Amino acid sequence: MSLTSALSIAQSALLNTSRQTSILSRNVSEASNPNYSRRSAVLTSMAPGARITEIRRATDEVLFRHNLASISAWQAQGAVSDGLDTLQLTVNGADNATSASTALGKLQEALQLYASMPSNRTLAESAVQSARQMVQSLNQGSAAIQTFRSDTDKEIATAVDDLNRLLADFERVNKEVVAGTRAGRDISDALDQRDTLLKKISEYVPVSTIKRTDNDLVIMTDGGAILFETVPRPVTFAPTAAYSPGASGNAVYIDGVPLAEGSGGNTSASGLIAAKLQLRDQVATGMQRQLDEVARGLITAFAESDPNGTLPDAAGLFTWSGGPDIPDTGVLIDGLAGSIRINTAVDSAQGGNPELLRDGGINGNGYIHNTDGAASFSSLLRSYGEKLDEPMDFDALAGLETTTTLGAFSANAIGWLEGLRKDAASGLESKEALATRTATALSNATGVNVDEEMSLLLELEHSYEATARLIRALDEMLGTLLEAAG
Amino acid sequence: MKTSFVSSSAISQAMRYQMMRMQAELVEKQQEAISGRVADPGVALGAGVSRTVSMSRDIERLKGLVDSNKLASNRLSATQDALGQMSAIAQNLLSTLTSATSDVVDSDIVREEAVRALGSLTSILNSNLNGEYLFAGINTDVRPIGDFSDPGSEAKAKFDEAFFDHFGFSQTDPAASGITAAAMEDFLTTVVEPQFLGDGWKENWSNATDERIVTRIATNETAETSVTANVEGVRKLMMVATTVSDLLAGPLNEAARGALYERALTLVGEGLADLGDVQAQAGVAENRISDASERITTQVDLFRKFVTDLEGVDPYEASTRVTDLLTQIEASYTLTARIQQLSLVRFLP
Repeated sequence: MSLTSALSIAQSALLNTSRQTSILSRNVSEASNPNYSRRSAVLTSMAPGARITEIRRATDEVLFRHNLASISAWQAQGAVSDGLDTLQLTVNGADNATSASTALGKLQEALQLYASMPSNRTLAESAVQSARQMVQSLNQGSAAIQTFRSDTDKEIATAVDDLNRLLADFERVNKEVVAGTRAGRDISDALDQRDTLLKKISEYVPVSTIKRTDNDLVIMTDGGAILFETVPRPVTFAPTAAYSPGASGNAVYIDGVPLAEGSGGNTSASGLIAAKLQLRDQVATGMQRQLDEVARGLITAFAESDPNGTLPDAAGLFTWSGGPDIPDTGVLIDGLAGSIRINTAVDSAQGGNPELLRDGGINGNGYIHNTDGAASFSSLLRSYGEKLDEPMDFDALAGLETTTTLGAFSANAIGWLEGLRKDAASGLESKEALATRTATALSNATGVNVDEEMSLLLELEHSYEATARLIRALDEMLGTLLEAAG
Repeated sequence: MKTSFVSSSAISQAMRYQMMRMQAELVEKQQEAISGRVADPGVALGAGVSRTVSMSRDIERLKGLVDSNKLASNRLSATQDALGQMSAIAQNLLSTLTSATSDVVDSDIVREEAVRALGSLTSILNSNLNGEYLFAGINTDVRPIGDFSDPGSEAKAKFDEAFFDHFGFSQTDPAASGITAAAMEDFLTTVVEPQFLGDGWKENWSNATDERIVTRIATNETAETSVTANVEGVRKLMMVATTVSDLLAGPLNEAARGALYERALTLVGEGLADLGDVQAQAGVAENRISDASERITTQVDLFRKFVTDLEGVDPYEASTRVTDLLTQIEASYTLTARIQQLSLVRFLP
């Protein structure tokens, strides 16, 4: 051993310190980047001196996995919540002002008032006006639902494109990681990028990963379909441009396996795509069916009958594309809410006579109840009001109580949506909290604390100072030696 | 080796997240404190909203019923008033006829009284409320009773024809003085009565229907809320007023007049009793309506209370919460500022 070797140890110490400082400054500069994992230098004793053999990247597999799962769940719940809010507002309106239930209540009130003064033509006109609003509420609700479905379909298509692009990026980064691992390079940056991509992918679909040799990663969905294995697997979706009630949209296929949609207000869906599929195929379709059943109930309740009992019942105040026949009892007809309209014979805006509502005969003279043309004939009007208060049969496909009054059915439809919204709101709160907590925990495990870095910097400064002093001492000693020799 | 580690970004993120939550809640609670109602009833009640929705709808419908009940009770009180006037006319007629039978009054005076009664009865029966004829049954857009004094009156023509067919001369013919009491009796019973108390009434006199206006006065209750000109009492009074006014125009002898007075007296008495019955019926209907309206109002109040119970919030609680949140948010601002300053960098030389 000699002074020279002491000098070389001191030199390597200087080198280590400066490298450590550079890592430290990188840590500080990335302190506010949530996708950055803290790096630290691992020193290994080597004769002579110590060297940095590895740059270690802080990781926590378990927390990371939890974080991915919670991101998927939160994204899905957020999408479901937003979708439900949109539907509530566009179909039922603020405070349910444009809902079928409200319109039905107004219609009942107008009929009741007209029945109390049947000789008043203005009241007949106002009853027809509220019938018009009823039809408008159903038509617009139905149109809004179908627009919502096609919008959601477009969003699914965009999400699938994004996912495919992310997977392509993932392939590039994964290759870099594998190659870097084989070559023994520092792959921390590539790993950071890869984790960031994984977080982004998990926003769209729930993922689980398997790590293979050389840090190669395989991504699978929760359902077991493979998303990425050396190369990205295709995620395919055929968008549907326009939706009509009863038409079903296409599924999203991952590597040929259809992606399952979620269910429930506190959705079982994970990831944006499953949630959007749920909104498109379950929630929107369910609402459409409920509106269709309300429309069918209206046509049935206002059907005209022959006072002599010979002619078949025919569609009265409200009619539809299949009129004047009456829809079958208790059987859903897709899109009825979109095609229901006021009978032209009653609609004064189309040259009809609103007083046919009082007298009967919308479908011809055989259906006239008020044969004497009495101005205060109220029994037909009262019978409409009574029919609306009688329980009727509804299709179980609508997902609501099957035997109830039309008014209760339409109120239940609102309850159905609000029930989902309530579940969604509470689900969102807990899932958001979970996502935030796991993110915090992950950040605590892998992130940077500037104060800690600063205190490490102090240590490094001290060690640098000490090394520098050592070198000076060695310099003096060598100088003394040379003087003595000279 | 590190124990209990907190990353810098976690500190600021947690602060931001908490802040967001508090601000979102602040907006909600502020709205609740002002409106006294949960900010989003759908989210607060879930499927239970269907109950408040249908209750709110019921409240509106019931209020509509109370309004339409007011219309019906207006009609009934107008009818009551008209019936009262008719009774008064009948009373006058009765006293005149009573005096006439004891031969105190001249037949011309009796006739004038009958003409006046006929005119008043006709105009009362044709009285009109909000464009609806009160006594028309459900045929409310047609005048129920024609004017007997009108030269074109169908009733008058039919009456004259019947008289001529029975006696072979007209009322004012001098031969009319030869009508005996028995002949008069026979004429009144076999010819005149069917014209008023039988089918002839609806053919010659009345355009009203027997069917009365039926109104829904509560969700599960209907009532007849009008009176028709076809009730017995009206017919009898009209018969008296018509026969007395018309036949006395001719030269009737005393016996025939006596027979006429006799029959008229009976009929007026019966008619008065009948009108009393009708008035009682209308009164019952009025009572039912006011009862129903009262019940409905109580029901509305009860429904309102249910809705408030479900959707309402305690405004004091909400406003206390607002104050709490404001304090917390302020504290949070102060903390954030202090934590931001809390950095080792500041203490390093």
